[in-house]
Amino acid sequence: MWIYDKKLQYPVKIKNPNPKLAQVIISQLGGPDGELAASMRYLHQRYAMPHDEIKGILTDVGTEELAHLEMVAAILHQLTRNLSEEQIKNSPFATYFVDHTTGLYPVAGSGLPFDMKYVGVKGDVITDLHEDLAAEQKARTTYDNILRLTDDPDVREPIKFLRQRELVHYQRFGDALRIAQDRMDSKNFYAYNPAFDKASGVFRKPK
Amino acid sequence: MRVINRNTSRENASRAGNCRMLQQRLQAVDFAIVETTLYLDVYPDCKKALEYHKRLLKERKMVAEALHGSCGPTTAWEEQNDGWEWVKGPWPWEPDAN
Repeated sequence: MWIYDKKLQYPVKIKNPNPKLAQVIISQLGGPDGELAASMRYLHQRYAMPHDEIKGILTDVGTEELAHLEMVAAILHQLTRNLSEEQIKNSPFATYFVDHTTGLYPVAGSGLPFDMKYVGVKGDVITDLHEDLAAEQKARTTYDNILRLTDDPDVREPIKFLRQRELVHYQRFGDALRIAQDRMDSKNFYAYNPAFDKASGVFRKPK
Repeated sequence: MRVINRNTSRENASRAGNCRMLQQRLQAVDFAIVETTLYLDVYPDCKKALEYHKRLLKERKMVAEALHGSCGPTTAWEEQNDGWEWVKGPWPWEPDAN
């Protein structure tokens, strides 16, 4: 279960509203490689995993991604405060504003609403961990792109923190993959799927 | 966490600054705990990491008690001293809470 701790993992204090910037940063809320996709991916993959270490890392990284979702929301909330009609009218944010005002609705920068199709849960140990390694790099790339689009230090600081966390998660998923492979037949990793098959399961030994 | 408004505005400003500092200290130690947790999830037998985790918990206890005493609870699972404190005051996504 989850307990809520009423503080951000890393502070967000933005002096200057900027709806144009919010329009791209919102991809880390509801986009294909954002924090909502990440948390749903890891928290749902953990149920089929056979090893404690992997259940643990998916649970703990998945939980941390919820904290990151909250940080991205805080950034968006502070970028869209106290806006004048002029600021909204002349920015790409206007098409979001008409449907959501300054409420936070998970969409991608393109306006596409969040979609579970962004998330892979294949129920295979090797497959799911590879999905996770790729997901962390995609998130890192998205943060790189956000950093290319703003000079505001108030925004850059929490974004750099979030980017750094993706790199650490990537390392930990690499460790998890190594653990899984150490417990497989070194002559054939694909002999069976420890998330589903018993050792003598799908690939039955000849009688 | 909220600032209890019973004093002069200078006392309030100084208390707010103190609360911000204590919260940042707790954010720092909690972050170290998360980082150590992720490491131990995949290296559960690492003695050094286990000891580090133990030390961090000790430090966390001190910092959390100081924060709670001066500035109120950050969860609904702690003692509430001034009514239903934990919902009051700025919420984490608001600039005043950071």
